[in-house]
Amino acid sequence: MNANISHIIFKHKESIIDQWLEEIPKFRTEDSLQNITDAMYENTNREFVDKLLSTVKNQTNDHADLVPFTERLIQLGWPLNYITRGLQEFRKITVATLSKSETDYNDSIELLQEIENWIDEIVNLLVNEYSGSWENTVFLQKMALKELSAPLIPVVDKISVMPLIGTIDTERAKHIMENLLTGVIEHRAEVVLIDITGVPVVDTMVAHHIIQASEAVRLVGAKCILVGIRPEIAQTIVNLGINLNKFPTKSTLKKGIETALEMTKRQIVEMEG
Amino acid sequence: MRIPILKLRDYLLISVQVELDDKTALQFQEDVLSKIHEEGSRGVVIDLTSVEMIDSFIAKVLGDVVDMSNLMGAKVVLTGIQPPVAITLIDMGIMLEDVPTALDLEQGLDRLQLELEG
Repeated sequence: MNANISHIIFKHKESIIDQWLEEIPKFRTEDSLQNITDAMYENTNREFVDKLLSTVKNQTNDHADLVPFTERLIQLGWPLNYITRGLQEFRKITVATLSKSETDYNDSIELLQEIENWIDEIVNLLVNEYSGSWENTVFLQKMALKELSAPLIPVVDKISVMPLIGTIDTERAKHIMENLLTGVIEHRAEVVLIDITGVPVVDTMVAHHIIQASEAVRLVGAKCILVGIRPEIAQTIVNLGINLNKFPTKSTLKKGIETALEMTKRQIVEMEG
Repeated sequence: MRIPILKLRDYLLISVQVELDDKTALQFQEDVLSKIHEEGSRGVVIDLTSVEMIDSFIAKVLGDVVDMSNLMGAKVVLTGIQPPVAITLIDMGIMLEDVPTALDLEQGLDRLQLELEG
């Protein structure tokens, strides 16, 4: 930043800080910042504004020293909304203060531009840090979901079960198919039961994915049974005109296992005595 | 490049060990059919365990071989289709609907026996 301008801003530091601290509490919204104590709230605000003003001294537009502070804000759960509004307010106050007291610079576009650039850089940095942390969270959750999403469980010799829980989208369907096929080969399964008890909605797309998966299973040399068809699912399937005749379907996993045993020419017998 | 076709009693055993190109596939189609004719085989097992890629043409040829062999009175079972291959086939919309499949050669032979008896 222009040394002259930074000098001017620095001269009015106290007045800017005071005004800002007066203005900022009105953005403290109902829900998000209520569980933070007043002392903590004020401390953080003060630290924030101090950090902001300390960046004035930077000659370049590199505000790397703001990063650790931002990370702390993210961890404390301060909403981005609040921070950006705080920054906007800060910019307004700075411009207002300077234009009032520095008559030389009264109409100076240069001053305005410098301040705009300065604040914009900081906004960018904050938004980047915040969205980075969100992306990270989403990524971790995606990984967790993926781990939970499609386990293939070998139940008895030649028979495996894949319980599906939750909505199925295209990406998950792909993952399901891969798991299903590699699992079939690994466990040398002859019959695979796909249990859709936990799938809330079966629309044409979900049905399409299931049909594709079972066709693929047939290609690698095993058979699919679709189990866990609840009454409402049966209704939607028929109403949508989806044809599931290519492979057997059963209402419960129990019936599915019985059919699977039959298909592999085995049965469960009770021991005598 | 020709794919070896082995005869085992009433059956023909074919293990495809190379990536099939168009010419090889067509040659293979002819070889299988003439072998069936020569030996009067009742069943054919085509093992695809070492095939990592099948394009739409090869898939069509395989389907044709199955249909043609059926016409000549020999049942065909495809075995050992790898997961990536299966996924590609399904994605291309090639279901190989009436083709019996099995996990490996052993189960393929069992399956063939079943088909012939039934």
